[in-house]
Amino acid sequence: MPTFKLDGREIPFEPGDTIIKAAWRQGIEIPHYCWHPGLSVAANCRMCLVEIKAERPMLMPTLKWDADKQAYVPSDKPKLTPSCQAPAVAGQEVFSQSSEAKNAQAHVQEFLLLNHPVDCPICDQAGECKLQDYWQTSQGTLKRKDTEPVHKPKAVRFGPTIVYDGERCIMCTRCIRVCDEVVGDHVLDMRERGNKNEITVSPGRELDHKYTLMTEHVCPVGALTSRDFRFKARVWFLRTQKSVCTGCATGCNDYMDFDPRKNEVFRIRPRDNAEVNKFWMCDDGMMSYHRVHKDRVTQGLVAGKAVAPAEALTAAAAALGKVAGPNIGVVLSAQHSSEDNFALARFAREVLGSERFYLAALGGWEADKILRHADNNPNRAGALAAVSSKAGSLADLLKDVSSGAVQGVIALGWASAEDASALSALRSLKAMVTLSSNSGALTEVASTVVPVASFAETEGTFVNAKGMAQHFDRVIHAPDGVQPGWLTLVELAKAMGKTLAFAQLSDLRGSIAVGAAAATQEARS
Amino acid sequence: MAKLISRPNMTAAEAMYVPEIAKGLGITIGRFFKNTFSSRGTEGNEIDTIDYPEERRTYPERFRGIHRLTHRADGSPRCVACLCCSTACPAQCIHIEAAEYPQGDARHGYERFPKVFVIDELRCIFCGFCVEACPCDAIRMDSGLHMPPSTQRAHFIFDKEMLMAIPAADGSFETKNPRHEPGDPTHPGVDREHHH
Repeated sequence: MPTFKLDGREIPFEPGDTIIKAAWRQGIEIPHYCWHPGLSVAANCRMCLVEIKAERPMLMPTLKWDADKQAYVPSDKPKLTPSCQAPAVAGQEVFSQSSEAKNAQAHVQEFLLLNHPVDCPICDQAGECKLQDYWQTSQGTLKRKDTEPVHKPKAVRFGPTIVYDGERCIMCTRCIRVCDEVVGDHVLDMRERGNKNEITVSPGRELDHKYTLMTEHVCPVGALTSRDFRFKARVWFLRTQKSVCTGCATGCNDYMDFDPRKNEVFRIRPRDNAEVNKFWMCDDGMMSYHRVHKDRVTQGLVAGKAVAPAEALTAAAAALGKVAGPNIGVVLSAQHSSEDNFALARFAREVLGSERFYLAALGGWEADKILRHADNNPNRAGALAAVSSKAGSLADLLKDVSSGAVQGVIALGWASAEDASALSALRSLKAMVTLSSNSGALTEVASTVVPVASFAETEGTFVNAKGMAQHFDRVIHAPDGVQPGWLTLVELAKAMGKTLAFAQLSDLRGSIAVGAAAATQEARS
Repeated sequence: MAKLISRPNMTAAEAMYVPEIAKGLGITIGRFFKNTFSSRGTEGNEIDTIDYPEERRTYPERFRGIHRLTHRADGSPRCVACLCCSTACPAQCIHIEAAEYPQGDARHGYERFPKVFVIDELRCIFCGFCVEACPCDAIRMDSGLHMPPSTQRAHFIFDKEMLMAIPAADGSFETKNPRHEPGDPTHPGVDREHHH
């Protein structure tokens, strides 16, 4: 791979890379606002100016102060180049930290802050704002302009999700480009020139496509804010964990930001993964964190009465014990982790002695060619893998219930395409046990509900539509007495006088791997 | 490491101990008679104790008393709910929920306000960091009051209305620092017209 030198360090690059992109691949950040690795080059912020030493340097005539002569004397200085636009050339020497380059960065930064309202205390971006970062690293001086700043529209409603503040905007056009290039919807544009520049929505339109929150995500300053997150929290109070979006089978990688003092999730941000979601996520995915707190089941439910989780577990063991055998229907969940589904399959075979598997899943949503998959369940593939794809649908379950083949049901999760009235036949079963984190149709028809940890309260694995198994971390703590689904099943087996052969997540994962290997062998032979 | 302490140089009378005890008792008994029998407030005869709580000492000007939320001219809080105070607070006793001024209000877009502002005065250590951190001079500890004692925890949880009902020691609810309101000529955001 060819290399060039950046501040004395060899940087390998792929042909076609720009200087800033090659440096970015190496984890080096050249200060920038308008450049984004997932978007086209605009080169309008001028923050990434660097000095390039070439064979025939481009020099600009200038005047320099000579202290001896007490006068300005003709001199020259290297012409600075925006590193987001300049292609990397093998063997060239680039300086982003030379005095000329740093001087340019400081002055560009000062220009960008010229009309900025500096209302950081009431700005949601404060704490993760590039203007703040680069003021610290590149400028560090007070404002020299003492005249009235230019005023622009503030708190403009761009659409159902986004609010715009023109005075904070630095006109980097990232939001315009994300709409144009990622979404393919030219709904944002720029109007006026110079310091009257502002971002506007197309006449007669609202910013209302499926990826509006990406405009806020790419905004390097506080100009675009999400109406969902607006004023909810200061970002320095939040901590973050790596997670995987539960919105659909694409399995976009994300960060979940939560407040550890409140044990509450506040937002989701996309996590770069070139194989899956690149840099982006859709609005529904960004909002999917609401499931963590909405309709949360924190207590057990036995015959309509709220009980402690441990009591619900005992009741569930008693109910299942009565009908244990091959006529128990086992409902896996496409919303739960592979670990939970695999544990349930093992529980069914080893404790209940049943092979009647069904899969509960949400009924799908509108897909597109960008990220959204038609299957709005994160782990259909993982759930099916736990039973070698031998699972019927909930419609099949209802048929088997009416024919009397199924006498009792143990179900995982809250999600189902059918609503509670469609599933009401399950109410009359001898045992209807649901293990769930949130309330839904399956908990509504259940006679016994055992609360389990949600996807944010435990670690696990989702297998996306491409068959990629992706790990997600625990974000917040589960409510008191509530355990992950797989551990609840281990306890349930214990309460029924049997043992599931894994006590730790690593044991469970080991047996999943063994099972997967055996299945592969079977398929080959 | 051991620390060396030199023995005090005592005179024979001091070393005998008893005379010194008698001297100390003399002072105590003298004070007792002075406080009991002298008339209060007579010139040259001031006693060293006061009849608290009927009588109170004046606290120094910069005494950090219980918090108050300062008002604007129209009686609304100066606070913009930026959470700088609760960020600075080492005792984590300040809870704020921010809200936005409604569409049409002159402050809409420029400012936000505290929907909920609660200080747990039991947790508070009266360090004054919140006052230092406030960019709006919205929280002050110049009430000149210390926290009145109570046996109920709930009495120590001060909400927004309570904090706004506490005046400064001089009785005012505002502060001497000027405020540039959106809408008045001194506010940097006065010209909100956008010229095309």
